[in-house]
Amino acid sequence: MEDPSPELKAGADERRDSPDFDDLVPPEEVVSGDRTRDDFFDAVLGLDSPATASEVAELAGHGVDAAREYLDWFERMGIVTRVTDSPATYERNQAYLNWRRIQQLRNRYDDDELLAFLDDAAERDASFAETFGVPSPDAVAITTHAADTGRSVEAVWQDVSAWKTTRRRIALLERALQTDSDGTADRRTVA
Amino acid sequence: MSGGRDDAGSTDDVSGAPIDFDRLNAIEERFITDDRFTEVERQPEFAPDRIVCRYDPGFYPQRVQSARLEVVWFENGDLSLHYHEEHRDGEFDHRWDRHPSDHNARDHVHPGPDAPTPGDDASHPAEWRDVLSMVLGEIEDRQRAFWAE
Repeated sequence: MEDPSPELKAGADERRDSPDFDDLVPPEEVVSGDRTRDDFFDAVLGLDSPATASEVAELAGHGVDAAREYLDWFERMGIVTRVTDSPATYERNQAYLNWRRIQQLRNRYDDDELLAFLDDAAERDASFAETFGVPSPDAVAITTHAADTGRSVEAVWQDVSAWKTTRRRIALLERALQTDSDGTADRRTVA
Repeated sequence: MSGGRDDAGSTDDVSGAPIDFDRLNAIEERFITDDRFTEVERQPEFAPDRIVCRYDPGFYPQRVQSARLEVVWFENGDLSLHYHEEHRDGEFDHRWDRHPSDHNARDHVHPGPDAPTPGDDASHPAEWRDVLSMVLGEIEDRQRAFWAE
């Protein structure tokens, strides 16, 4: 990144009160959690394709034995699912993460608030469907649509991503509102 | 990572993904207690589309009125991290991106005062925390440079 232009820099007077950057927690520590569990959870969050225990160990910065232990535990909790057996590979279990988020929504908001969020999201969804002329964001071929409409791939990608986010939000909100009166949501997969 | 002018438009395998609410949550939890930031907020709060992190103005000379980092992450690993400074007479933007475009490789940056399109092709670290710490480090380098003679 560029250095600031000279006219933006601190003058001699200001420099007497320079901030002490060395007191800050170093960036690589700020972005990590405090515990080994966080390291493995972070590694699993970042998986976009099935990974072996050694690949997860590498990502987490810990040994492969620890990776196997955590992956077993995460699999029992539902945080990961095992995709293949030999070698064993695992992937992030989005259904579990969604279920956890639904519990958080129920804990933080009452039904009226959730309904208001849902109304907003549904309106947004309808407006995307009208703009793109298809019923679902999965039906948009991004580069083709960009070429057809003279928009940039980046602009179309942004809209399609926002539409998919809206769909995800609707699915979470609907399930939070459907949750049984005893406070347990079912654990079916959300699209 | 594939990408670049040639394959954009010739294939249609580019797709979007929803915002990764869980990853943004983890980032928020870690940033919220850090001394770099005076405020870390989720927008919207119930399922964040982005995390807005406001830098402590003490890291800047008076001519810089405010600075923030906006963090967006998608479930497929795509990302857009936007650093923005407000000056008395202008502003400065820098964006680290990973997403399909017709002007750059998937990994790219939009540098400088007006963060132009197209940006510069780049190669960001594969691991998401490494991307974040690289970005915090680059911002800190710029902040330190404000105070250098």
